[in-house]
Amino acid sequence: MELILKNVSASYGNNEVLKDVNLTIGEGETVFIGGRNGSGKTTLLRVMSGLMECEGCVTVSDQNISKMKRRNIARLIALMPQTGETYFQYTAYQTVLLGRFAGSKSLFGNFDQEDKEAAKSAMETCGVYEYRDRLLNELSGGQLQRVLLARTFAQGTPFLFLDEPGSNLDIKYRAELCDYLCKWAQGKTSTPYGDVRNTVVAVFHDLAQARSVCNRTVFLKNGKIVADGKSSEVITPECLESVYDFDVAGYIENQVIIR
Amino acid sequence: MDNQAVPEIRKRTKKRQAAGIGIALSLAACLFILLAAIRSGSVYISVSDLLKIIKSHITGSPLPAEVDPMSDSIFWSIRMPRAITAFLVGGCLSVSGAVMQAVLQNPLASSYTLGVSSGASLGAAFVLLCGITIPVLSGFMLPAAGFVFGLATVAIAILLASRIDRNVSNQTIVLIGMILSLFVTGIMNLMMTFYGDRSKQLWLWMTGSFSARNWMHCAILAAVGAAGLVILLMLSGRLDILTFGELQASSMGVDVKKTKIAAILVSSLLTGVSVAFAGVIGFIDLAAPHIVRRIFGPSHKIVIPMSFIYGGAFMALCDLAARTVLSPREIPVGAVTALVGAPFFAYVFFAKGRRSA
Repeated sequence: MELILKNVSASYGNNEVLKDVNLTIGEGETVFIGGRNGSGKTTLLRVMSGLMECEGCVTVSDQNISKMKRRNIARLIALMPQTGETYFQYTAYQTVLLGRFAGSKSLFGNFDQEDKEAAKSAMETCGVYEYRDRLLNELSGGQLQRVLLARTFAQGTPFLFLDEPGSNLDIKYRAELCDYLCKWAQGKTSTPYGDVRNTVVAVFHDLAQARSVCNRTVFLKNGKIVADGKSSEVITPECLESVYDFDVAGYIENQVIIR
Repeated sequence: MDNQAVPEIRKRTKKRQAAGIGIALSLAACLFILLAAIRSGSVYISVSDLLKIIKSHITGSPLPAEVDPMSDSIFWSIRMPRAITAFLVGGCLSVSGAVMQAVLQNPLASSYTLGVSSGASLGAAFVLLCGITIPVLSGFMLPAAGFVFGLATVAIAILLASRIDRNVSNQTIVLIGMILSLFVTGIMNLMMTFYGDRSKQLWLWMTGSFSARNWMHCAILAAVGAAGLVILLMLSGRLDILTFGELQASSMGVDVKKTKIAAILVSSLLTGVSVAFAGVIGFIDLAAPHIVRRIFGPSHKIVIPMSFIYGGAFMALCDLAARTVLSPREIPVGAVTALVGAPFFAYVFFAKGRRSA
């Protein structure tokens, strides 16, 4: 199962954020999307999950994503948002369970034992099962982010799109998240189209994190893809400098953390 | 693992029991209030006589000789339909308020946000001020006009919103609803200046009343209310997800536009039929869902039915106050809901401690 973007452009009002992007994400890949603030990373994730109208064509499993039912897309693609807040106070567990909506067949939206198990195991993976009865506004920023991550995992899709999943996590959880993603990416997920190898597409600002999870790197600059290839080949001092307009390699080399 | 699992299961069962007890207590309180609303007034009746009256009407058997036929007509034909109409109207309004708050992700949204009330008032104005009637409808002219105008206003609001903004964003909906309400109210005020002599009648209708309601009103309200409840319960999972914002909701598989429009139409239908039979009664639709969320949590599977029970019971209580406190003079119910409800709501909302369940 592939996800293909053909000549995709997207804009907010008159501000064109993605310009003629062509990209193919193959089954089982782990893709890092990098670039400066405002380079179009989040927009790319939204367009790829059919959440935003665009020019051009996005297909998944040979179907045009703009013609698919939302529910069917959500069985294939889960997108973890940067933030998630609601005025209404759901508990962490209720929030994660809602991730099972797309796969649930119940007319009145009841969740069965399988859904509950999936929610529980996603929460354990993200280390938030002990907070299951807490209300969302009683959680810290990092805990909330892990709850949202658990909800995304609970959705049980073969495509996992993550928008800065580690931004609010402490260093331990960040490392654990990377380990888990690496492990998860080796597995398969059963879908209406049969078993599909798991695929991760993630935006990171921490390059070490990106390298540890993703074999492939795509760099965006001003809405265009400026580099795409194996992480080990693309992430070079020259490339980083041209993408970030900054001597990234030199900066990293001079960083002192423990000496 | 195992010795951890046991207290956990116990805790869960305890929580479920607590919720069950909460629901049972609420239902009991609601029944008690309904009974009080039916029995209170200038004529007294014992509970057993009341039950005999109800039984004879339901089974079709003749009234037992020991029951005064006079109380039969007072209770069966006047007080019971009145109390039940009040209950159903309160329930429909509250459910509609709960749904609007979720759909618009706005705790201040109410059943009236999209202009049902001002539209219905304009409809009533046409009937009461201009004396326009359609003979076939006879006694139902006023509710019919209120209903049609109320829903037409919502339909125009949604149509305008989707024309102006393809994604039908909440801000657009709320703004259009406000603008349209003000505009429609303007037309009505203009009419009132021309028919000043009859505007007292319109004012009375607008402040809400349950006097002289009959079983026909109850039946229509019950049918619309039940249908609305079932549809909204089917949407309840989607409503839960929608409160997290539209982008997240679509990424989780909810067709946001369809869900929003369906939920708004059904809740407007509930409001429309309520306003048609009782006039514009504010406040309950805003307050009841918040109180229910505080007690039972925000999940719509429970918020929707419990809002019906709480809103209904509260309305029955307010109507009881409206007709008894200054008896024989009646206070407009709308005034009672606001006078009693506002301080109570403020107390519940700002008192310390969150939901207890």
